[in-house]
Amino acid sequence: MFEVRSRRNKILLQLVATAFVLPYLFPLIVMVSGSLAGHGWKNYADVIQVPGFFRFFLNSAIIAAGVIVLVYGVTMLAAYGFAKLHIRGREVYFWMLLACLTLPEVVLLTPLFTTTQQVGLYDTYWSVILPLAALQVPFAVLLTRNFIKGLPDEMFEAARVDGANSMRGFLYLVIPLTKPIAAAVLIFTLIGAWNNYLMPLVFLQSQEMQTITLVPQFFIGQFSNDQTRILAAAVLTAIPEVIAYLCLQGLFERGLSAGAIK
Amino acid sequence: MTETMARKGDTSKQAAGGRMPRPRRLQAPGLPWILPALILSVGLIYYCILYTVDISTLNWDGASPDPESVGLANYARIGRDPVFWKAVTHTVIFFVVTFSVQTVLGVLFAVLMHSKIKLAIVYKVIVFVPVVLAPAIMAPVFRQMYAADGQFNWVLEHIGLGFLAQPWIGQDSTALAVIMAITIWQWTGLTFVLYHAAMSQIDQSMLEAARIDGAGNIRTLVSIIWPSVRGTTVALAILGAIGALKTFDVPWLVTVAGPNNATQFLGTYIYQMTIQLAHVGYGAALSIILLLLALTMAIILQLVGREKKGLR
Repeated sequence: MFEVRSRRNKILLQLVATAFVLPYLFPLIVMVSGSLAGHGWKNYADVIQVPGFFRFFLNSAIIAAGVIVLVYGVTMLAAYGFAKLHIRGREVYFWMLLACLTLPEVVLLTPLFTTTQQVGLYDTYWSVILPLAALQVPFAVLLTRNFIKGLPDEMFEAARVDGANSMRGFLYLVIPLTKPIAAAVLIFTLIGAWNNYLMPLVFLQSQEMQTITLVPQFFIGQFSNDQTRILAAAVLTAIPEVIAYLCLQGLFERGLSAGAIK
Repeated sequence: MTETMARKGDTSKQAAGGRMPRPRRLQAPGLPWILPALILSVGLIYYCILYTVDISTLNWDGASPDPESVGLANYARIGRDPVFWKAVTHTVIFFVVTFSVQTVLGVLFAVLMHSKIKLAIVYKVIVFVPVVLAPAIMAPVFRQMYAADGQFNWVLEHIGLGFLAQPWIGQDSTALAVIMAITIWQWTGLTFVLYHAAMSQIDQSMLEAARIDGAGNIRTLVSIIWPSVRGTTVALAILGAIGALKTFDVPWLVTVAGPNNATQFLGTYIYQMTIQLAHVGYGAALSIILLLLALTMAIILQLVGREKKGLR
């Protein structure tokens, strides 16, 4: 975009870029160096030895997996229905779904709190999986429906002429052809579920149910505000996300960008 | 985006009607297919909204079996509640500042990374990593960094700005700025990636023509690049506005909405009212107002975006 010819200007541009990028690196440096302050690597050992530390990861993984499976399943079915099948009053249903996009999750707290307690789902994985999936589905459907709409009608008609019912059309056309968009849906659902803080905070009371986003406050209690170990715990909880991103850079950027445009 | 889709839907319907009278039977009924999504999403969310509307007319602590109905009194109380108005003001400031700064930085990074600089991939990773990290996990880092004896003041002292050092999160006047800085740190990566993608779509020959006509770097940026990415800007504005209304994690975990409500947002206020103070009825009324604000915002920005597109 910017054209710089002279050597001096090239160096200048590089310096400007570096100066703007450094502040983004700074909190990460603070986090890592802070976690090594005092006892050095022993901070990490202390954190890992806390009983139940890996339980947080397991819980987050279970919840994220549950949300992903649920979102993927209902999204694929609905997107296919909205894009290629006949539904009377289709746009009405669709706008009802889209209106959910604006919903701030804090609105769900009281009703879900009362209801989950009544039906015995409080403090179970479902009390977090269901609302998180409900909040992710509208956008996932919007994206996937647009994608499926772009697939040629003739293909589906040809399949029908050859005797395939809509179920077969779904299994043999929609599922394989939507892989690119499914990857995007998967990534933003994963990040949304893995990073969510409010739902586990309110709906998961017992220690052995809690997720990684509740780790900092757990360790504030555990180590009575010993900052170095709290930061060591933060680094350990951040590592899986950073590694996942570094391995799947393009997918993460596409997925989160897709998840961003509403 | 949504509105172009709706339009597409209309035309395809017309085309189907006009071109060839396709027998309906061929299109299998789709209702069973969309039903699971409707039950999960629409069912759960609308149920919660209606439930909240119901609670919002009660004077309820969340536990008593027989709450007193107070009609619209909770809503009347919102209008007179100074903390509510504080939270609204913070939301507006928060949106305007974070959106403007992120847009400037996002465009800047996108242009720089398109300009053949060295180490572009490393820079991109550094700016994007915050998007992936949970605010809840980063909160302790920021609490320490912006504390009176934190690393931010340390840096200020070492670059000769020591006179600026202050307890950033401990005082009313700067706490909101910290919350905004953290949010900008977190989301610039996304803004940047979106602009980066949008800029790849710009016709290179147009840029070359501008250069031959003598346009410099700044002129090209203002007159060609910036107008070409307007769609992205509108989308980010909608996202930012709704995001501002949903703000919860960062002010709650870094400053606990304080000091003196200096970082109070609607999300944190509803949480305090409902969970901590057990004013569940009032919290529900606040929730409904928040929901209406978010819906109104989405509709207004959608219309503004559409108008701009129509003019071009």
